[in-house]
Amino acid sequence: MSWNRVAVVGAGLIKFGELHQQSFERMAAGALEAALASVDKGMSRSAIDFAVVATQRTTLWGHESISGNTLPSVLGLNGIACTRVENACPTGSDAFRIGAMAVASGVYDCVLVIGVEKMRDKSPDEGLLSRAATGHPIYQRGESAPALFAPFATRHMHEFGTTREMLASVAVKNHHNGVLDPYAHFQNEVTVEQVLSGPPVCHPLHLLDCCPQTDGAAAVILVPAERAAEFTDKPVYIAGFAMASDHPWMHEKSSYLGFKATTLAAERAYRMAGLGPADMDMAEVHDCFTITEILDIEDLGFVEKGKGGIASIEGETAIGGRIPINTSGGLLAKGHPIGATGVAQLTECWWQLRGEADQRQVDIRHGNVLQHNVGGRGSGVAVVNILTTNTT
Amino acid sequence: MVGSLVGIQGVGAAAPSLRLRAGDVAAAWGSRGGKGQAAVCAADEDALTLSWLAVVRALANAGRSPDEIDGLWWGTSRPPFAEGPSLAVLGSALRLRSDVAGALMSGSAHAGMEALVAAWDAVAAGHARIAVVVASDAVIPGPGTPWESRVGAGAVALVLTAGAGPAALVSRAHRNWPVLDRYRGDGEASTRDMYDPRLFREEVFLPLLTEVAGKIGEAHLWSLPDPDGRLGAVLARRLGADASASASVYAELGDTGAAAPLLGLRGVLHTPGRAAVLGYGGGRATGVAVEVNDALPGSADDLGAGMVVSYPEALRARGQLLSTGEAVPMGVPPGSAAFVRGGVEMLALQGGRCVECGTLNVPPSVHPACIGCGGEKFEVRDLERAGTVHTFSVNYSMPAPFVAPLPLLIVDLDDGARVQFQGLPEDAPNLAVGDRVELVLRRYAVERGVPVYGYKARRVTS
Repeated sequence: MSWNRVAVVGAGLIKFGELHQQSFERMAAGALEAALASVDKGMSRSAIDFAVVATQRTTLWGHESISGNTLPSVLGLNGIACTRVENACPTGSDAFRIGAMAVASGVYDCVLVIGVEKMRDKSPDEGLLSRAATGHPIYQRGESAPALFAPFATRHMHEFGTTREMLASVAVKNHHNGVLDPYAHFQNEVTVEQVLSGPPVCHPLHLLDCCPQTDGAAAVILVPAERAAEFTDKPVYIAGFAMASDHPWMHEKSSYLGFKATTLAAERAYRMAGLGPADMDMAEVHDCFTITEILDIEDLGFVEKGKGGIASIEGETAIGGRIPINTSGGLLAKGHPIGATGVAQLTECWWQLRGEADQRQVDIRHGNVLQHNVGGRGSGVAVVNILTTNTT
Repeated sequence: MVGSLVGIQGVGAAAPSLRLRAGDVAAAWGSRGGKGQAAVCAADEDALTLSWLAVVRALANAGRSPDEIDGLWWGTSRPPFAEGPSLAVLGSALRLRSDVAGALMSGSAHAGMEALVAAWDAVAAGHARIAVVVASDAVIPGPGTPWESRVGAGAVALVLTAGAGPAALVSRAHRNWPVLDRYRGDGEASTRDMYDPRLFREEVFLPLLTEVAGKIGEAHLWSLPDPDGRLGAVLARRLGADASASASVYAELGDTGAAAPLLGLRGVLHTPGRAAVLGYGGGRATGVAVEVNDALPGSADDLGAGMVVSYPEALRARGQLLSTGEAVPMGVPPGSAAFVRGGVEMLALQGGRCVECGTLNVPPSVHPACIGCGGEKFEVRDLERAGTVHTFSVNYSMPAPFVAPLPLLIVDLDDGARVQFQGLPEDAPNLAVGDRVELVLRRYAVERGVPVYGYKARRVTS
């Protein structure tokens, strides 16, 4: 029996991209509007009594720390409780987990989980790349985001014979899915040859092995399960969730063949949901780089350890395949506005379970789907959320 | 003339990674010709990193461990800080004892000879039983100056002990005269040369050095200064001296400044007999005679051929060709509390060994709990400086001042510690899992004029 104490009754996002004309506040307002509009029986924003805002990076123009101070006002919710969550790449999915606990505790009746991120208010050099100059002056110097994942690719290739073509197949699939997703940043197909011949970013990862820097916002609305019927006849429940951590330094991994934090979070979330990987109809997983998706599908139990590359190149993870992965286009094509990413993945999961994913719709046989993020230094934090339509 | 006998037990030397051909420099300035080559530091090398390598090699050749060393005398015209903890940083990186004696001699290319004499005195007087002398330079010449293509870089270290060793220091002489030749004013980046060749040769260089040579007596092999590529040969003829060893150092590395006299001396320490070295710089000349009894360990070690680079590449490495635009701040305020807590563990490369499970936690200051078992008791120890590549990446996407390609290596050191280090750009094309690497001290960053040193992993090919 799954946990099922909290229902997701609304979810929505804005079109991801380089949204130079939209302020942080406008993006947030757009996501809230989309989520409210998605509630089948309607919802007034005044129903919301607590907001968890997920945002990871600081931005320009006075938003050095977007917090509970800012969001209620700009969302027309002045006066409500609001807390900012920051937890590296799983910021959005962790905010969801915290929102679920807030509802389940009985303290709040209607919780807004909103992820907003302005990645492109700063130039690329001042953005994620500048993290090469952060951390320990010796042992972490030069570690920009791709350098947190590329060593895993090197070792996976060494140990299992994973090839760059296998990595490229992930980018090809996710760009294809992105073309089917009107919210995706990129709306173009790519070929294996294009991925292989792109400029190197961090060996063995080349440009199209990497997700872009994208602005975006997404929101979901949570209520106690027993109140779901007030808002919808097609409720989606939270079957289980978990978070796990691992040592934060790159040299502290006992293995570079997977992410321990993901494995731990998955075990806990599956146990809470009373489900396993074979019960999932699809999953939105963290594909900041092509290698990340390959490791994720192994760590989450969808394929055997070491077989992620082969499963990808053989189409097992495509829409219509054995276990469709990242139908939304994933971080690689939809984009990775960090705080919004997890919330947007959950929106895709919600649509898939409700049969509302249009051309991307997968076959829902079991009624369960999974969402996952992993990140931080040394990929030391991971969150897994499982959604279901089953009530027994 | 001198009290107790002082011997030389071992020698080590280091050359920087790059070589610049004089012809390429001449071509860049529109002139023809230009003979020979000079050694140039890579962007992460300087007088301190070269000194470190020379001393590590000298200690190995002398069979001495760092904790036996009572004093460190360092002579260089280019300490990394014009004013600051240059000697203390070098001592920590060499894992010398925290009560080590010594001094930093600087101010001119004569500094290497001054360091030798000071260390000699300390051992002779009984203040130090074993002393290390290191002479190094990485002179930065002004672009377009006549001697630019001859200015080199290098380091040499001698281990001195009480009593005669394979070689012994036997006599010395000095000469002082306040004349101006090569100089650098306060706050200036590059060295200048007030150089009138005939005036300097006839009125300063030859008279001073022949006088000093006469005072230290006969020798069969000499290390002689050669500030312009011709004077060395003139002086050798005047003295009737064989200076082929020092001449070959000049031919290979260029004018290595404060390191030059002792680098030349190193080349004659494998032949038994009386050897002598003359050093000149900053209006001072010093001569020292050495009695070589047996070939000195390390005196014939190969310094490597280096990598020939273009003139623009050399300018970039020397910080004289800069890209327009701002570099990202490196976020390393060297005077901060983080460096008080973490400075020694970084420079000496230390790990905290868990007494429960033996796991090495790196660096110790940020690991109150063991990553292996959660244990809370540690012994801080020096880590091995060699290991094997477990996995790696090569980063191409970083803002300035980072320069691609930048290898990042997860290395399993030979004592079991796993640590991430930067690699060297020249190793990027050939890196593979399982490669053997050795750790070398390099300059990781310069923040507000302050260098930050740490280890990089260099691929071992042999």
